[in-house]
Amino acid sequence: MLDRRNFLKLAAALSTAFGISNLPAPVQAALKKINPATLPKIIYLQGMSCTGCSISLLQANAPSPAALITEYSQLAFHADLSATSGKQSLNLINAFISGKAGEYILALEGSIPDQMPEACVIGDKPLAKYLEEAARTMTAAVAVGTCACDGGIPAAEGNPTGAIGLREFYKRRNIDKLVVNIRGCSVHPDWVWHTIVHLVKVGLPELTDGGSPKLFYAKKVHEQCPRYHDFQQEIFARNLGEKGCLFKLGCLGPDTYADCPTRWWNSGQNWCVDANAPCIGCASPNFARQKRIPFYRLAEAATQKI
Amino acid sequence: MKIDLGPVSRIEGHLNVRTTVENGTVIDAQCMGEMFRGFEVFLKGRDPLDAQQITQRICGVCPYAHAIASSYAQENAYGLRVPPNGRILHNLIQGANHLYDYLLQFYQLSALDFVDVTAILKYQGADPDLVKIRNWVKAELASGKPYPAAPFLPRLSGRYIANAEINIGALKHYVEAMELQKKANSASAIFGGKFPHATAIFPGGCTQDARIDLITNYQALIQEVRNFIHSKYIPDLIAVAQAFPEYWNIGASKGGFLSFGLMPMGPTPESKKLFAAGALFNGQVTPVNFELITEDTKYSKYSSPSGLKVRDGQLTPNPRKAGAYSWIKAPRYMGKMVEVGPAARVLVDYYQGNNPKVKALVKKYAGIVGIAPAKINSVLGRHLCRAISAVVIADFLLDETERLSPGEPTMAEIKVPSSGEGFGATEASRGALLHYIRIENHKIDRYECVVPTTWNGSPRDDKGQPGAMESALIGTKVKTPEEQIESLRIVHSFDPCIACAVH
Repeated sequence: MLDRRNFLKLAAALSTAFGISNLPAPVQAALKKINPATLPKIIYLQGMSCTGCSISLLQANAPSPAALITEYSQLAFHADLSATSGKQSLNLINAFISGKAGEYILALEGSIPDQMPEACVIGDKPLAKYLEEAARTMTAAVAVGTCACDGGIPAAEGNPTGAIGLREFYKRRNIDKLVVNIRGCSVHPDWVWHTIVHLVKVGLPELTDGGSPKLFYAKKVHEQCPRYHDFQQEIFARNLGEKGCLFKLGCLGPDTYADCPTRWWNSGQNWCVDANAPCIGCASPNFARQKRIPFYRLAEAATQKI
Repeated sequence: MKIDLGPVSRIEGHLNVRTTVENGTVIDAQCMGEMFRGFEVFLKGRDPLDAQQITQRICGVCPYAHAIASSYAQENAYGLRVPPNGRILHNLIQGANHLYDYLLQFYQLSALDFVDVTAILKYQGADPDLVKIRNWVKAELASGKPYPAAPFLPRLSGRYIANAEINIGALKHYVEAMELQKKANSASAIFGGKFPHATAIFPGGCTQDARIDLITNYQALIQEVRNFIHSKYIPDLIAVAQAFPEYWNIGASKGGFLSFGLMPMGPTPESKKLFAAGALFNGQVTPVNFELITEDTKYSKYSSPSGLKVRDGQLTPNPRKAGAYSWIKAPRYMGKMVEVGPAARVLVDYYQGNNPKVKALVKKYAGIVGIAPAKINSVLGRHLCRAISAVVIADFLLDETERLSPGEPTMAEIKVPSSGEGFGATEASRGALLHYIRIENHKIDRYECVVPTTWNGSPRDDKGQPGAMESALIGTKVKTPEEQIESLRIVHSFDPCIACAVH
């Protein structure tokens, strides 16, 4: 019997074997446009962001950040690194976005204030204007971080600016354009750079339903957690700083798709759970969204009897 | 003639500076913060322990400073007694974050204002890194494509360092600094869990153990960063200072200085600190009193009342408010404008004679570059004080690791009371950072943050007094009014962070 799961597997295998014709139209368009012989230029814009994702991109291990922006891609503009400033940088951004400076991939960090355009302005106009214009000229977009994908922290309950992510922004405007979602608050540098390298060298990586590369987001943190054994044996931490499964302290690993447990952070130095810190679900589309769901459940864990 | 300098690059976030230039002099400047998210709005009603996580997202450049300030505020609100290891781990995490930030600020954010990238084309040596950069720049310039050698070109017109050897050395260190900042952040992550946005920092300490293998790992990484600070960063800074001596006389702010002090050396946030807290006006330092801070909003895009104290803070966005030109509020101390940041931190400590190392370093480097300590209020002075902070902090962190007691607790047990309030203050790399939390019915009733660039990047207050950066820009002579590399150098010396300033 060919169940749904196997059917999808087969479909994926067939589309790989027979080319890209079975993929959605915008994805096909994107794949056709990317020329592996030339490095893509990246126009990196910041919306309502904290720059944490940009700083995380500088924590790339191998290749190094310097190699990634010169050998593996071309960072045509990034507000934190570009020597240019002011009018000169606006001219550069506009040259690409108007389609006059050739192909480019748009990277967006941060969310978009859809109900208060004045809450994010670059030069002489709101961020939203750049994004609308770029949709006509860019090859594809990479939404860098949970804010750019889903609104993130600015979209937490109470959201005074109407913050949303890039896919939703285009959906509301009936714009059909490939947006690859790289979630994480912040993103892991590998998740972004490896996606970009993948786009350049072999094309679009296989995506999840949420539009994220399966390379990094196919499994839940919990499934891959080295403390999964503790969970099965019901060895739970009751207080912060204790060993054991952190589920009863509020760990959101069972609800979050990311490969942190196998990838680790900061050149493999550490990751949250190995520091006895519960996963707070920063790579989840619902990260920090509801007030009634706190990150930690300390009182409950301490009072529960095993 | 009105000229906008925005969007300003090589800073954090969305800043425009609207200048008025007459006869080659900036006669007016308005700092315009152009991004607003509303943290104080969405923190209300949340679980108090969410705060040290949510507030880190104010700024991904200095998230640990927010985690620490929030932890201090909550410790005060909960009445927590932090075990000695917990306090030391807070310091180790925060201090390493300062070191990365100073390297990033000097090399990635500021160096391209002074260093001539094109000097690499003349490189004749055999250093593989430099040969690679040279060949890359050559190929880019010959490619005929639009905007070759981005993001290093194009750049603003102006005088850059003429000495090829200094330029080429600085470029090599630019690339090396990218590697070294990672080591500082890896050190932070040993105890913080990851960087940016640490998950292991809590009010009451840190969830990571004080294990000897981790401590040794931390020491080795900090030692490498310390070596770079002494062997590359400081010589490069002195080379820049010697090539641009006029910048000791450019970019002085025209008010007082405020520092909340950095890294307690005892069990409570109020213990004696590595850098002392204080408010400095006319050479006189007074103790910091948070009740003397008010935030004006006449020129800020809020309709909430002006002149409120921190614990009474309100936030009602009004994006089209008449006469308002910034999302940044205008905080004032005793009604006066102050500068915060590395210069304030060093001067406030220096005038109190708190840390003998700070005094010795100020004298040493002032002697080397031939300036009076008063010239610290300048573009180069801010850069110098970052380097002094880096030296003092790196030594302190290595000493601090020896004070950890392996195997002893690193966390206090947290019990969140149904109501309470607390202030938490520290120095982010960019300056004085204050958090305030008030809890009612186990939830956050009010959360307020007064952040370094809120002070430095502030618009006019209700009395019309300019903010620190505005005051430093006014009076600047500019060669090319449309571009104003001179003004850009002033802005960069403050290392503004707009995500922080508005939040």
